[in-house]
Amino acid sequence: MRKVNIILASVVVLFGIAFMLLGTNTAQKVQRSIMGMMSPFLRTGSAVQQGLGAVGKGLKSLDELEEDNKRLTKENMELRAANEMLRNTQDENNRLREALDYRTRSLFRLIPTEVLTRDASTWWNSVVINRGFEDGVDDGTQGGVPMTVISDQGLVGKIMTASKNDSAVMLITDETCKVGAYVEGTREKGIVSGIRVQEGGKPELHMSFLSKHADLKPGQKVYTEGVGAVFPAGLLIGTVKSFKSRELDGEAIIEPAVDFSTMSDLFVISGAK
Amino acid sequence: MKLVWITLALVVAIFLSFAIEPFISPIASAEGARVYLMPVFFCFGACVLPFPCMLILALEAGILSDFSILHIVHHATEAIDSDTLQTISSSVEIPSGWSILFYLAFGSICQGVRPLVLRGHWWLPALLSALTTMTHLAIQFVIITMHRFTQDGLFWSETVAWRIVAPGLIASLLTLVLVVIATIAENLFTVGRRPERDF
Repeated sequence: MRKVNIILASVVVLFGIAFMLLGTNTAQKVQRSIMGMMSPFLRTGSAVQQGLGAVGKGLKSLDELEEDNKRLTKENMELRAANEMLRNTQDENNRLREALDYRTRSLFRLIPTEVLTRDASTWWNSVVINRGFEDGVDDGTQGGVPMTVISDQGLVGKIMTASKNDSAVMLITDETCKVGAYVEGTREKGIVSGIRVQEGGKPELHMSFLSKHADLKPGQKVYTEGVGAVFPAGLLIGTVKSFKSRELDGEAIIEPAVDFSTMSDLFVISGAK
Repeated sequence: MKLVWITLALVVAIFLSFAIEPFISPIASAEGARVYLMPVFFCFGACVLPFPCMLILALEAGILSDFSILHIVHHATEAIDSDTLQTISSSVEIPSGWSILFYLAFGSICQGVRPLVLRGHWWLPALLSALTTMTHLAIQFVIITMHRFTQDGLFWSETVAWRIVAPGLIASLLTLVLVVIATIAENLFTVGRRPERDF
């Protein structure tokens, strides 16, 4: 082997070792730059994919569009009315919580976003969304905690890395994403996490550290508990599918509320209103 | 000059493969195995280009594969006061940079068989890209498993095997297609003036 090749190979090895010694924050900075470089390509790819998917789907007659418009306007009015009622209930609830010396709960400020790409790796569950730190998204390196991501169906995950215009979101189906949760109508609390390798079909979640003889029935809803500071309380995670008693605790299989394979419009919770 | 252009083309191809891969859906019939394009271009380049050019490809492939899927795990949070919360610690699940060393090692193996590839052993890049893809995924899986070692012990299933083997087989097929395209292109551009190969 020529001397120059050995020197060049040594330089590459040193680069590798230097990268391995990077701290998490520095590694995230490098990742942000790479996400920034990839961003135009991912946005173009996403637009092309959406365009191809819309071929033949988007063609509607004027009558159909008018019908859609009427239905959506009516739905919008209903939702506004329901929202106003809920806001009043929330205020009342907060007043009562305050009277009982509980911490008040707030409505969320949401940043609307879209999925650019989903699940680019074999072992991790993540998606990339089209909002970054310029839009107010925080991955926890700006002095706060990683922001929560939701859809209209329920909890999606949390921000892993936010670059200038895009962010990587760790989904709740990932094994390393752990959420404190409770089961509706019971005193059962536990930790919900994903499974390392989902075996075909719809993904499932595990809820562990439940009491051994918990009386859980299929269909009961599971919500975030709000402990651990990352996920706000009261977000729908999914429904109980089955329960099994283990040696020391109980474990439930949860069917996520969100359809991760088709979700496209998401919201980042940027704080309280 | 020709080598510079081929290296540049492969550098661009490796970069673009990272931008394209997320849009390729996992193969449902292969237990959700993914299609990886990058090892195809890397192994082809490592088998036909000289050592310094292979190093450039290894550096690029390593950096992009580690940082495009950097998996950050948050460990705990601490309340500074009732309104402000701060993350205490977070870590990267697989140290970034290991892929540079991995691709350097596999690129060196490719360099070892380069004379045979240039003599017409067209199947060698395909075999090596399958090995590279499978080994990379297998090492990732082992590192994750060691990280997340729980009371359930080591985790292994048929799905894991599929997700390691299937991408390797697909990469080898794609490499064969790339070799055929490269051979046709070489024949087109060197008609009547085939130079002697330098080993």
